[in-house]
Amino acid sequence: MLSRQRLFWRPKTYDLLGSDKAFVRACRDNCAYHIKHCPGYAAICRHLGFSPDRLQTIEDLSAIPVIPTLFFKRKALFSMPQWRMAMKVTSSGTSGKYSRIGFDWGCILAEAPMVVNLGFRHHLVSPKPAHCVILGYKPHKSNHTGVTRTMFGLTHFSPPLSRTYALNLVDGAYVPDLDAVAEALRKLERSSFPTRVIGFPSYLWFGLQRMEELGLRITLPKGSRIILAGGWKQHADQEVDKKTLYALVKSVLGIPEGNINELFGAVEHPVFYNTCEKHHFHIPIYGRVIIRDPDTLESLPTGQVGLVNLISPLMTATPTLSVMTDDLGYLTPGDKCGCGIQSPYLTILGRVGMRDIQTCAAGAAELLGKGDAF
Amino acid sequence: MIFANGKLLPDSRRREVIADLETAVNEVRMGPRLEAETVIAAVDALGKRLAGGEFDQLLAQFLPANVTLDDLLPLLSRETIEAKLAAELGPDPFGDRPFPRTTARVLPLGTLLHIAPGNMPGLPVYTALEGLLTGNVNLLKLPHGDKGLSLAALRLLVEQEPRLAPYLYAFDLPSKEQGDLKALAALADGLVTWGSDRAILAARSLAPAGCKLIEWGHRLSFAYVSGYEDKSSELSSLAAHIIETGQRLCSSCQVIFLNTDRWEEGKAFCRDLLPYLEKAASLRPGRGAGAQAVLSGQTALLERIIEGRAKGEVLYPSKGCSVILRPDRELELSPMEGNVLVKLLPQEELLSTLRRQKGRLQTAGLICSPESREALTALLSQAGLTRITRAAAMSAAFPGESHDGESPLRRYLRIVDIES
Repeated sequence: MLSRQRLFWRPKTYDLLGSDKAFVRACRDNCAYHIKHCPGYAAICRHLGFSPDRLQTIEDLSAIPVIPTLFFKRKALFSMPQWRMAMKVTSSGTSGKYSRIGFDWGCILAEAPMVVNLGFRHHLVSPKPAHCVILGYKPHKSNHTGVTRTMFGLTHFSPPLSRTYALNLVDGAYVPDLDAVAEALRKLERSSFPTRVIGFPSYLWFGLQRMEELGLRITLPKGSRIILAGGWKQHADQEVDKKTLYALVKSVLGIPEGNINELFGAVEHPVFYNTCEKHHFHIPIYGRVIIRDPDTLESLPTGQVGLVNLISPLMTATPTLSVMTDDLGYLTPGDKCGCGIQSPYLTILGRVGMRDIQTCAAGAAELLGKGDAF
Repeated sequence: MIFANGKLLPDSRRREVIADLETAVNEVRMGPRLEAETVIAAVDALGKRLAGGEFDQLLAQFLPANVTLDDLLPLLSRETIEAKLAAELGPDPFGDRPFPRTTARVLPLGTLLHIAPGNMPGLPVYTALEGLLTGNVNLLKLPHGDKGLSLAALRLLVEQEPRLAPYLYAFDLPSKEQGDLKALAALADGLVTWGSDRAILAARSLAPAGCKLIEWGHRLSFAYVSGYEDKSSELSSLAAHIIETGQRLCSSCQVIFLNTDRWEEGKAFCRDLLPYLEKAASLRPGRGAGAQAVLSGQTALLERIIEGRAKGEVLYPSKGCSVILRPDRELELSPMEGNVLVKLLPQEELLSTLRRQKGRLQTAGLICSPESREALTALLSQAGLTRITRAAAMSAAFPGESHDGESPLRRYLRIVDIES
């Protein structure tokens, strides 16, 4: 799948117009690959009357069959045998159900230049060693969640001197210990190396509030950064305004707003979205975003709010070419941002709130041979 | 959190509480019997305070958006509870019954372990209340995702009537804590399980031999259409029911069966129903509901395609809802959220088809001409349904109705025959 590598090894990470042709070509090849190797995906395309030849221009992307992420939570689809995959990763399963997604070696090869290029572009890469405080899960062989691997991976943007985790395995279950993190941060204040705090925004918020309660205010060494990934998850109801969070970061940890990076991505769409200096998620050349009418799934013009459809030809182990999240969001033209990046940026407004409770009717279907009930 | 004998305790004290439970429970059971009147008075007083808005702030904290306790509030009045007791247990629910050589005395089963459902806020408390009314000690395993509503409600109840405290224990216990669950089950005379087949099978493996199993499993419901009394009003009521319940309740309509064998009639019905469904869907608040409907519908469609079941079906999509005309005749779960299945099921095949789902049938919302209602009602009853209603009232609560064809309170009691 050379067309994919050609796209991902392009140097200009936000040149959407310049990469359109390569993107469409890679999508066409990706779609054809899944149709050939995944009978389920082939059946979907056949039923919906779609064939990859229809992909000629960037406008044609909206015709690719869209698979809701909810679908991957109920059914695992693969386009290659498991022994050929580099790894299998699960979503974090906030609602108790998780997607199972395979990663192929070609995907890893394509992700490398994406992560390095964007890492440089957004000042994540530094030769200066740093201590890492991870407000997330400590990796363990029983933990296959994508976010755990991502956070561990993020510690490598600078040579890691140490790693302190907020969530550690105790008797087989993850237990948060924010006090230990607060104590570690207090000690790191005196280090001659910067600190990188990597983690879920909700844990940062709770952690900073805890430090405030303890009357702990520190100034981490110059060059320290905050890298936020994974969203608010089950703490979504406590989500706070970004400005409030940044102000608290400044007052409790002494890290300026400019040193806060936010990341966005999904196991089903592992494109490395970064915030610009104005805290906007511009779309890099590796993905395209279509906003769809929440009532009809028709694509909507720029600026209108709808369901977020993410498209990328990155994966060949699982047919995640075009996935529909349950997030509502909208696109804004890049020139409205002012940071200099011209590609449009995506604003996520939050989940549509798929009610994740087990329903009594759904339960009854379990023994009726429906397989993975939900 | 744990609720034990009127106190809220941290989860870290769970083992300790469970270890001391047997002694505590035995002590209560040796004491005077808990009178139903004590429970009724407490619930009635609390219901009045709830209805008066005294706890609105507390409820707002625990209830999911768009969910209210309006359906539960009427159940918390003296009249309703007394009517329930009378309907299920007769005019003198706990009175002795004399026989020529014995007297039959009604006693509580003893200790009930409730494995409570998570699909409707308030139900964990409701099942515990049924246990209390019959004088049992109640151990409650709260559902995953209970954000504190049940614990708050139990605390209020005990504050209202401190004598109830020793009869109520609740544990926020993950299902994987098998050891602790088994310890609780070992204390129980009855295991009351609500939930999916998986939950029920799991609970059966917990219960020691000799522990009575009381199972309230998940059910499926449907509408049966065979002519109309007032077509527009009946289709409109059915559409409103489908949208308002999100097809998430045991009593929610999953499939609309038509009393016909003609595919063209099926198509005409779907075209007729769609505008009503669309209108009901447009009344849902917020943008999220429509999106949920579309995502659910799309996901289910892709599943059917992959399973090779989408062939021959006709899809009628609309804004935030859809009607799916399917060529088979099985009662099955719909994609929910306003995506309803329509199937042809001629009257002659009704019983044989529905018998395949025995034990899972609950409500039939019957839409038909007045002259055929009696015969169709009899047929549906014979097929195994436990509720037969009009389309609008499929999920309505009726005074005195049974629970899936049974009287729960009766199952929480036992009879002791005493020789004179």
